[in-house]
Amino acid sequence: MQQRPPAEPLLAIEAVSCRFGGLLALDAVSLQVQEGEIFGLIGPNGAGKTTLFNVISGLTPPSGGRVLWRGTPMSRPSPERVNRLGIARTFQNLRLFDSLPVIENVLVGLHHAARQPLAGALLASPAFRRRQAVLRSQAIELLALVDLAELADQTAASLSYGDRRRLEIARALATAPALLLLDEPAAGMNPVEKDDLCALIDRIRAHFALTVLIIEHHVPLMMRLCDRLAVLNFGERIALGTPEQVRHDPAVIEAYLGGQP
Amino acid sequence: MIDPTLLVQMVLGALLGLSVYLPLSGGQLSLATPGFYAIGGYMAALLSTGWPALGGAAPLYPLPSLLLELGLAGALAAAVALAIGGPVLKLRGIYLAIATISLVEILRVLNLNLPFTGGAVGIFAIPQPFSDPAGYLGAALLLLLLVGLLCQRLEGMRFGRAQAAIRDDELAASCMGIDTARVKLTAFVISAVIAALTGVLSAHFLNTWNARQGSFDASITTLAFVVFGGSRSWLGPIAGGLALTAVPELLRPIGDLRLIVYGLVIVVGPVFFPQGLITPELLKGLARWWPWRQREAAP
Amino acid sequence: MDTLLQILFNGLSVGAVYALFALGYTLVFSVLGVINFAQGAVFTLGAYFTYLLIGGAVGANGLLAGLALPFALPFWLALPLAGLAAALVSLLVEAVAFRPLRRRRAEPLLYLITSLGAGVILVNLIQLLMGAEGYSLPADSLGALPVALNLGGAQVRTVQLVLLGVSALVLIGLTLWLEGSRGGKALQAVSEDATTARLLGIDSDGMILLSFAVSGFLAGISGGLVGLSISITGPYFGIGFGLKALGVLVLGGLGSVPGAVLAGLIIGLAEALVPSELSGYKDAVAFAFLFAVLLLRPQGLLGRPQVTKV
Ligand SMILES: Nc1ncnc2c1ncn2[C@@H]1O[C@H](COP(=O)(O)OP(=O)(O)OP(=O)(O)O)[C@@H](O)[C@H]1O
Ligand SMILES: [Mg+2]
Repeated sequence: MQQRPPAEPLLAIEAVSCRFGGLLALDAVSLQVQEGEIFGLIGPNGAGKTTLFNVISGLTPPSGGRVLWRGTPMSRPSPERVNRLGIARTFQNLRLFDSLPVIENVLVGLHHAARQPLAGALLASPAFRRRQAVLRSQAIELLALVDLAELADQTAASLSYGDRRRLEIARALATAPALLLLDEPAAGMNPVEKDDLCALIDRIRAHFALTVLIIEHHVPLMMRLCDRLAVLNFGERIALGTPEQVRHDPAVIEAYLGGQP
Repeated sequence: MIDPTLLVQMVLGALLGLSVYLPLSGGQLSLATPGFYAIGGYMAALLSTGWPALGGAAPLYPLPSLLLELGLAGALAAAVALAIGGPVLKLRGIYLAIATISLVEILRVLNLNLPFTGGAVGIFAIPQPFSDPAGYLGAALLLLLLVGLLCQRLEGMRFGRAQAAIRDDELAASCMGIDTARVKLTAFVISAVIAALTGVLSAHFLNTWNARQGSFDASITTLAFVVFGGSRSWLGPIAGGLALTAVPELLRPIGDLRLIVYGLVIVVGPVFFPQGLITPELLKGLARWWPWRQREAAP
Repeated sequence: MDTLLQILFNGLSVGAVYALFALGYTLVFSVLGVINFAQGAVFTLGAYFTYLLIGGAVGANGLLAGLALPFALPFWLALPLAGLAAALVSLLVEAVAFRPLRRRRAEPLLYLITSLGAGVILVNLIQLLMGAEGYSLPADSLGALPVALNLGGAQVRTVQLVLLGVSALVLIGLTLWLEGSRGGKALQAVSEDATTARLLGIDSDGMILLSFAVSGFLAGISGGLVGLSISITGPYFGIGFGLKALGVLVLGGLGSVPGAVLAGLIIGLAEALVPSELSGYKDAVAFAFLFAVLLLRPQGLLGRPQVTKV
């Protein structure tokens, strides 16, 4: 039951290509992410999923095509500018600030809104201290959301794998994004943790009015979680649609089963 | 009782340690400190010996003139750091270290050859603002206090968090909306200013200034201050600067062996104190002690 | 006035020695990923060893004042022996300044400090034993060879030809060894990917020792050659050269052998082309070059750019 699409997608990828030497990691990929949806990106290893995230987040300049944010092309995107536009991400190979306490990892992200008079900060004025206390309680709230409030003072490096994945999500949320990019957030988790993660993603989407773009190999989970899915294979977008449409797409079956009848 | 002259040197060493520490706590191995130190020293030497209006002929060099020198040296160092920082700080790790060492060497050769820097002999008879080492000690300690406080405050604010994040993972930091280029440049500029101010004091204190004051060995020695003292807290480089400046001087009685022993200290230190003398655990331990001590002091 | 040909020869011969010296850094860097700041002191030692082996006597100031070896070797023999002695010292540096940290998996920053400390110890040991004075190898070090040769109408100092010839020989030998022998190939394997190399059964500890030994040998030979050509100015003689060789290394691209050779020759030539009125600025040439290149091409002339995979 297709509704009338909103006038403008939140994020539009238009014919984005990305070449590394002889390898075409992305081949004129186009897709549009609507505000409020959970959009899934699946595909075999090396399909170019992470590369697409890197292009969106300003880490890898595309060799062709463009990315539009709320209808406007991103000009000379750098990672920090992309983040300030309202796009936050997590990393497939966890990139936390390992030597910092858990709460500091989140506080780093909260600072987007924390510009303060320099003099007040240098002199530790009462206003500055109040503001710091507010930031800390916001950080604790975010940590509580991902069940890490108890571990706030441990160093990030000391956390278990699943905890680290959720801390990365909390850290990304701290930058108050409108669009959250999750790169294999369930990798390395057991089935119970995966279910919890699904619930968490649903919860944060509702809580923060988020749009989510998620990469994940676990197809059943994606079918359940996502409103729409795109399938990449060797840098090409071979399918796009609702989970039901994608499930029955012959190109997808071909890509996943390697051409077996 | 330690010789006050040595104390002044130690405090100046601590200041240089802080200058190396600031970029390093943001993960940037910049070894440009001796270059900016030299700039500050030449600024002081040239102004105070070459500009009579500053009062170089008076028995005691006027303090306002010293303050003017500090201001000008700081401004020049900041300008140079701003100009070169943008491109240089794009380099990472050892490349940044080598580029900044190159800079120090280029400056050294220039200072040795430029027509107005006095060649190898340098500039001497730099006027004295204080009549005894105690005066210098006061001035140096005041500067150290201000710089130390600045570093302590910076660590507690947005800037310090950004620095720590960049040190751990620059790419992730930029994805968290941190303008990494700007943070790195800020640290580099503050570091340059600290070094230049230290150079000004040092030039007056030493009475002469020449190209040897900013050389490659100094780059690594000042880095040793930080590594030896501990690169995780602003107290580390202070401890390292004080200690490593004192060691060769305290070893003077053993004569020719002293630099060999100094070398041994540098080789062995990092093996036994890989985190430096001042570690985060030590500070945590001290912090636990602190309120208890206060309670004890109050009857 | 020097002719252009003479300048070229000067530049090439000095440049070849820079390249040789720089390769010593490369070997250790490519295996361990750290810079050995004691390399300059090992270079100095190479020069002193050469001086002693050809029969030179210790001056009046050190603990060894007046001493001389009971024999005098010809330069051709003294140089490789000095190289071997330097290789031994380099192994010692590894044992003192690198191995304890490696055992503790310390962060790379610490190696800069400990290797500098080892350098400080070596330099001051030399000073303690042999005094702070300069030494020069006697003019007849090269035996019956004439001081200068006439090449195509230009007078070229024989020393320059020796520098060029020996460096070329060692460079060729090193390349053949790296590309052709088991040890050389193993070293390359470790430098490309230490973990995989270990899985293939290559003893990476042995390779580290090997890299230190060879790099010490190269530094010692370079020191002996420079000592022959311009005399030894004192215990600190190698520090400036060490720094310049480091510059050459980075200019060529860390880890790249052809890069180091190319950069060495470029810097040697560039320095030789500095007009004599500006000779004071000669020492800055290498660094100015390096600085400019780093800003334009951070990976150096022939280095591969670093990629961080996300
Ligand atoms: N910086 C880079 N330089 C060269 N090649 C790259 C780079 N980044 C990615 N690639 C290549 O591009 C292709 C796509 O990689 P990408 O990481 O986007 O795949 P993916 O779909 O995320 O795979 P996976 O499911 O394994 O994470 C791969 O072949 C990869 O090796
Ligand atoms: Mg991926």
